[in-house]
Amino acid sequence: MGQTILVVGGGMSGVSAALEAAEAGYDVVLVEKNPYLGGRVAQLHQYFPKLCPPYCGLEINFKRIKSNPRIKLYTMSEVTGIEGGPGSYKVTINQLPRYVNERCTVCGKCADAVETTIPNPFDYGLGTIKAAYLPHELAYPFRYVIDPSIVETEDGAKAKEACPYDAVVLDDAAKEVTEEAGAIVWAAGWTPYDASKVEYYNFNSSPDIITNVQMERLATAGGPTGGKIVKLSNGEAPKKVAFIQCAGSRDVNHLPFCSTVCCLASLKQATYVREQLPEAEVTIYFIDIRAMDRNEDFYTKVKADEKISFVKSKIGLIEPGENGVLVLEGENTTTGERFKAEHDMVVLATGMQPNTDLSKIPADMVYDEYGFVQAAEGIFGAGTVRRPGEVHVSVQDGTSAALKAIQVVAGR
Amino acid sequence: MATKAYDKSFREEVYQNVDSGEDVKLCMQCGVCGITCPLRGEMTHGPRQLWALIRAGKRDEVMNSPDIMLCTSCYSCKVRCPRGVKVIDVMHGLAHYALEQGIVPRKETAKFGKVFWNSIYKTGRVDETEVPMRYTMMAGPVHGIFAMLEMMDIGRALLSHKRMKFKLGPGLPPSKKIKGIRGLKKMLDKAAAMSPGKEG
Repeated sequence: MGQTILVVGGGMSGVSAALEAAEAGYDVVLVEKNPYLGGRVAQLHQYFPKLCPPYCGLEINFKRIKSNPRIKLYTMSEVTGIEGGPGSYKVTINQLPRYVNERCTVCGKCADAVETTIPNPFDYGLGTIKAAYLPHELAYPFRYVIDPSIVETEDGAKAKEACPYDAVVLDDAAKEVTEEAGAIVWAAGWTPYDASKVEYYNFNSSPDIITNVQMERLATAGGPTGGKIVKLSNGEAPKKVAFIQCAGSRDVNHLPFCSTVCCLASLKQATYVREQLPEAEVTIYFIDIRAMDRNEDFYTKVKADEKISFVKSKIGLIEPGENGVLVLEGENTTTGERFKAEHDMVVLATGMQPNTDLSKIPADMVYDEYGFVQAAEGIFGAGTVRRPGEVHVSVQDGTSAALKAIQVVAGR
Repeated sequence: MATKAYDKSFREEVYQNVDSGEDVKLCMQCGVCGITCPLRGEMTHGPRQLWALIRAGKRDEVMNSPDIMLCTSCYSCKVRCPRGVKVIDVMHGLAHYALEQGIVPRKETAKFGKVFWNSIYKTGRVDETEVPMRYTMMAGPVHGIFAMLEMMDIGRALLSHKRMKFKLGPGLPPSKKIKGIRGLKKMLDKAAAMSPGKEG
C-alpha cells in the first residue's frame, strides 16, 4: 500500500493529478467533497480565451477515470485526519450518506415524487431543486442524491416508494474509512470571496447585484434561467451592465492578492452579454486590466467592441436608486473626475480564496500569509490551494504534483 | 517622443518630512479614498490626486490645496484603503508641514485650529461658547455679530438643553479652568517640542 497516492479534491487539478498518477501505474484514492467530480470548472459556461464549453474536456477526463481500475473514488467525503509520514500515511476519510446506491439509473422518478425543494448549491444559490436531485445534468458519478433534510420525512418515503430499482437507501449512514497512502496531493480548490464582506457594494441590497460565478450560471443552458442573462429582480434583460473588478481583491482588508483570472473572466462575461443582448451596453470598471501573454489578444478583441467600455476606477459605492436602478460612484483615475453612473445590473468580480485559508490540512503544513500551501515533503499542494490561477495552470499543477508524489512512492 | 522629467525633490521632501509621508509610495491609484470621503463634494483633489501630484513633484498645488486642511479625520478612507495607506496621518502631516513652511492652505481651518488650541491650552477644555465666539470675531466684530446672529437658533436650542453656557462675549465671564492645568500645559509644551521638524 506504500505505493498508493491519495488525492484530495476532484476538481481540475485533483482529477489531473489522479489520472496522471494512475496512468503512470500507481494506485490512486481520489477523495471529493461534492457528490460529483469537476469542481468549479463544471459550473462554468465557457472557458476563456477560446470560449468553448468546459464540459468537453471534463468528459474525456471522466471517461479516463471510469476506465481506469487503479482509481478508487470517494464522493461526498472529506479527509479528517492524516497520520504518519512520507511513504506511509494513514488517512481518515469521513463519507456522508448519499442515500442512493449504484443501482440508480437516473430515471428521475424519485425527484418527481418529492415535493420539498432546496437552494441549488450548483447554481450558487440562484435557483432551487428538488430534495432528490442529480447534482447537474452531466454529473459524474451519474447518480441521484437525496438531501438529508427529507430522509426522515414523508418525502423520503415517497422517494423510496417511487424508485423502481430499489436504489433509494434511507438508512444509509455516514462512514469513517481509513486509507493508506505513500504520498498525498492536496487539491482542495478555492471559494469565491464572500461579496457581502465588501460592505460598500451593498451586495444583499438588490438581486441585480450578482457575482462573477453566478454570472456563469446565468449564462449557461443548464442554469437557473435556462441560459438567459436576465435581471433577477424582474426577469427582464439588462440594458446597462457593469463589471466591477477587484471586488474584495488586491485589498488589505479582504484578499490582499490578485486572483489573476477575474479580469479575463469579466472580459469573457462581457462577450456573453453582448452575444445574447445586442442592445446592451457593458462597462468594465477596473484598477488595471491584467491580461497576460496570450490573453492580451482576447483583451484587444473585447476592447474593439464599441458597446463595451472601460473605465479606470475602483468603484467606491453601489447604492440602489429609484426604479431598481443601481448607482455606482467612483473616481475616474484617468480624467480625475468623480462620477455617478447608473446601471441596471452589476457583476462583482470576486476573487479566489484558497480553501486552505478557510480550513487547514489536518497535518503539519506551512502556509503563506494568505493561506496558500507551501512546499512540503510527502504532501503536495496542487492548483488553487497553491496559488490562484486559471484552468490550464491547474491542469499543469496537478500533473506536477502527481510527479512529485510518484517520486515519494516509487520503489517502495 | 519627448518625455517630461518629473521633479523628484518634492516627493523626497514629503517622504522625509511629512508624518507617514512614505505611505504615499503604497498608493496604487484606485480612487476609493476620494469617493469614500464625506466631503468629496468640497474637495478639489482628494487624497488620490494629491498623492499623484506629490509623485509628480507639483509642490505648489499640493502645499496650497485646501483639501489637506478640509480633512475631518473621519477615517472612512483609511478604513477602506485597499493598500492600508494612513491617509489621515498624511493629510494632517501635509497641513502641518505647509504651516511650518509659512503656507496656509485654508485660512478658516488655520484660524479655527488656533482658537481651538488656545482654548485647550489656557483652560484645559474646549469651551462650546467661547470657541465659536472667538472664531467668528477673528474676521472683525461686525462680521462676528452677523455670523453669530445666523447661528442664533442653534445657540438657543443648545442653551435650552444646557449644552452651552450663556456668555455676553468672549471671556465674559472667563471659562473655568480644569484642575491641574499647569500639568497639562507642561505636557503640551513637551509634545510641541517633540513634533516633527522641531527635533531630529
